[in-house]
Amino acid sequence: MARINDVGGTQGFGPIDTTDDAEPFHADWEARVVGLFNALRGQGVFNTNEFRDAIESMEPREYLSTSYYERWFLAICALLERKGVLKPGELEGLDG
Amino acid sequence: MAEDRFPPGTRVRTFHHDPPHHTRLPRYARGKRGVVVEPEGPAELADVSAQGRADAPVEQIYAVRFAARDLWGEGDHHVVLDLWESYLEEDPADER
Repeated sequence: MARINDVGGTQGFGPIDTTDDAEPFHADWEARVVGLFNALRGQGVFNTNEFRDAIESMEPREYLSTSYYERWFLAICALLERKGVLKPGELEGLDG
Repeated sequence: MAEDRFPPGTRVRTFHHDPPHHTRLPRYARGKRGVVVEPEGPAELADVSAQGRADAPVEQIYAVRFAARDLWGEGDHHVVLDLWESYLEEDPADER
């Protein structure tokens, strides 16, 4: 299965942005997503490689149009559904 | 631990297929010839643990050196990748 994350050596994505503004997070929700990840992994709900797999399994258009931590959040949601922690669609319709 | 299957200097070739799951062998390095630099220590095979399985085998990881020319057809530098033992097979001299 060709995965959209695996683009090493592919032309056309433009130069890599290597600027470092020393800010780990650019919104509060990003830090909360990392907290969610640490808590769920720490509880053994999923392991790091399952999490990587979930990010890599994203639909290519969604992968390319989302930010780094948006991908983290979507991957966590997908894993929680797969593991039965969340019912399919349970998060839909929630505000905020 | 038993002696490593691929001592430093062993000429190896990576697998060529596209697995239907997470893997640490990037697409640009599939089916490529390289040379083992050194063992990096054993670790659970990420390809299996990424599937949520508890039976991931522990394998030796090797630093493997590739000529950029062999990966991309150009370039004078080398690329070193950390690869699990089952990604590799010995590259028989008579096939080079």
